[in-house]
Amino acid sequence: MAESKLSKLYDWLDERTGIKQLTSEALDEPIRGGARWAYVFGSLLLFLFAIQVVTGIFLSMYYVPSADHAHASVSYIQKAVPGGWLLRGLHHYGATAMVILAVAHLAQTFLFGAYKNKRELLWMAGVAMLLIILAFSFTGYLLPWDQAAYFGTKVGASIAGEVPVVGSVQQRIMLGGSDLTTVTLSRFFTTHVFLLPLALVGLVSLHLYLFRRATPAGPFHNRADKKIERFYPKQAFKDSVAVLICFAAIVAMAKYSPAELGPQADPTSDYLARPPWYFMPLFQLLKYFPGQWAIIPTVVLPAVLFGALFLLPFFDRRGERHPLKRPLATTLLVLIIGGSIGLIFLAKHQDRTNPEFADKLKQQEEEMHAYFAKPFEPKIIGASAALMSATAPEPPAAYAQSCAACHGDKGEGALFTPLLGVASRPQRSKEDLLKILDDSRAYGIKAPMPESFPKLSPQEKEQIVDWMLTLKAQ
Amino acid sequence: MTNEFDQANLPAPERRSFLGVISGLIMAGISAVLGVTIGRFSIAPAFSASNEQPWTDLGTLDDIAEGKLIKKNVIVSQDAGWGKFQTQRSVWIVRKGENVQVFSGVCPHLGCSVASREEKFICACHGSEWDAAGNTLAGPSPRGLDTLEIRVEENKLKVKYQDFKQAVTTKEVLS
Repeated sequence: MAESKLSKLYDWLDERTGIKQLTSEALDEPIRGGARWAYVFGSLLLFLFAIQVVTGIFLSMYYVPSADHAHASVSYIQKAVPGGWLLRGLHHYGATAMVILAVAHLAQTFLFGAYKNKRELLWMAGVAMLLIILAFSFTGYLLPWDQAAYFGTKVGASIAGEVPVVGSVQQRIMLGGSDLTTVTLSRFFTTHVFLLPLALVGLVSLHLYLFRRATPAGPFHNRADKKIERFYPKQAFKDSVAVLICFAAIVAMAKYSPAELGPQADPTSDYLARPPWYFMPLFQLLKYFPGQWAIIPTVVLPAVLFGALFLLPFFDRRGERHPLKRPLATTLLVLIIGGSIGLIFLAKHQDRTNPEFADKLKQQEEEMHAYFAKPFEPKIIGASAALMSATAPEPPAAYAQSCAACHGDKGEGALFTPLLGVASRPQRSKEDLLKILDDSRAYGIKAPMPESFPKLSPQEKEQIVDWMLTLKAQ
Repeated sequence: MTNEFDQANLPAPERRSFLGVISGLIMAGISAVLGVTIGRFSIAPAFSASNEQPWTDLGTLDDIAEGKLIKKNVIVSQDAGWGKFQTQRSVWIVRKGENVQVFSGVCPHLGCSVASREEKFICACHGSEWDAAGNTLAGPSPRGLDTLEIRVEENKLKVKYQDFKQAVTTKEVLS
């Protein structure tokens, strides 16, 4: 009885919404040659895009797109909010998975000749989506505003500035000025969360529409294979299993190799920038093209590659789809993919072995891990100097006499560095601070205190350091 | 046309299928993991933020004029996500001889700011009025003005700022 009531309800709904036909459109798509594991990539990409949208929306609940607070807010998400590490990890590794799968999807379509036979626009929409995905990656990389983000984006912006003729204008528009500032962060954020998603939703819709219109290309051998299966249930099942494996993989990555977050961007540091691994091939090529030739790997090569990809269906008009009967196409693909992977490994290898920067990179990684391991500490916001002085403990007399002229009456900074929050920085424990007061040159800080530094008694040093440890960051 | 399907070879659409059920379970499982994670992520921090304030100095007792309604601002530190936000809140001090009362400047009705008019407290939003001891004289306020905990140390008046639930007849601390 219940069933007939349910089916009555379904009929009622169908009369008003046409749900039966919609379901049929979604599930009954015929697949030439039948369901295959090889066809899961498109659905996987759609799933990953959905994951990015959902996790992205919720990450923006705590994220602040301002250079002042972006890093603190990402740190809060990663370290303090329940489930924050997982949402951020899913977003981080989901993005990487999208790049990999988009390339795999494109490579497979290329290898199987599935862009042929009136599928030019379908293919071009796909290539455009790969570009959008890379733009997502580039704009998203800056948002945490840590060292890697800041310096990586600096390099990216400089490359954008190298483009002939339009370079400097393009770079200015991209940065929102002449330098990487909080305005740049806002632009990247707006692009990342509003413009690119809109573009991708539009292209996905177009791609799906064109795909349904062109129908799946089916196996590449031209046998008269009459087997046809519908998308549901076999292909739907294969897609679901692939989705499950992919989801489990990114969850495992998020858990066992959490999305990285290093110390906040410090433009004065000598940080060695490295791009995410999928930009590594271009980074490596850059080493072989010094000076004015640098635009070959950074601008010319990508432009030629994507231009050729875009126009591929117009160059290659033969009907032949079998990869072994298209030796040029297949060789090119193997060379490009193999070459890119080779360049990535070469770049990683050189980074590990080059005496000039292997140590520096290792040190940066250690700093990143040290920062990552520290528990989250909320940032003190909005305490104006007057409010600070109302709550801050009074500095010891020796400080007022010997230190205040340079570091401010309450450590807020005057001629030289502020001391607020100094104790929360790396290598600034009580012992370190005492050593710096003993002899800042011997300790080896970058901007040592003057030679004429007044003599302080051990008790005075102790008093000053104890007071410094109470100073909270602003 | 290559894109047309041979209708004779097209299998009939299927709806009841074991593979379909498994696919549905996979999607439901992933949605559940995401749903629970997102739920905790968005809701849990709302219940963990602490609003505990330290004792704040309101000045020397002798400097507080007798019988006047005196407004002072105190610094409160609010746990709000990634930051500890230092902002200010108003309190009202009324001294009658040795007896000192400090009231929250937030109207117990719907949370507008309390002001003074002559010897009375008023809330201009909805017209509540209170006498200098915080007793309701008029208007919709469900209770008298909320008193704050105070103590006197070395002749200095100190207050512990708190927020209270609005629109209820009894004073309930929001922690």
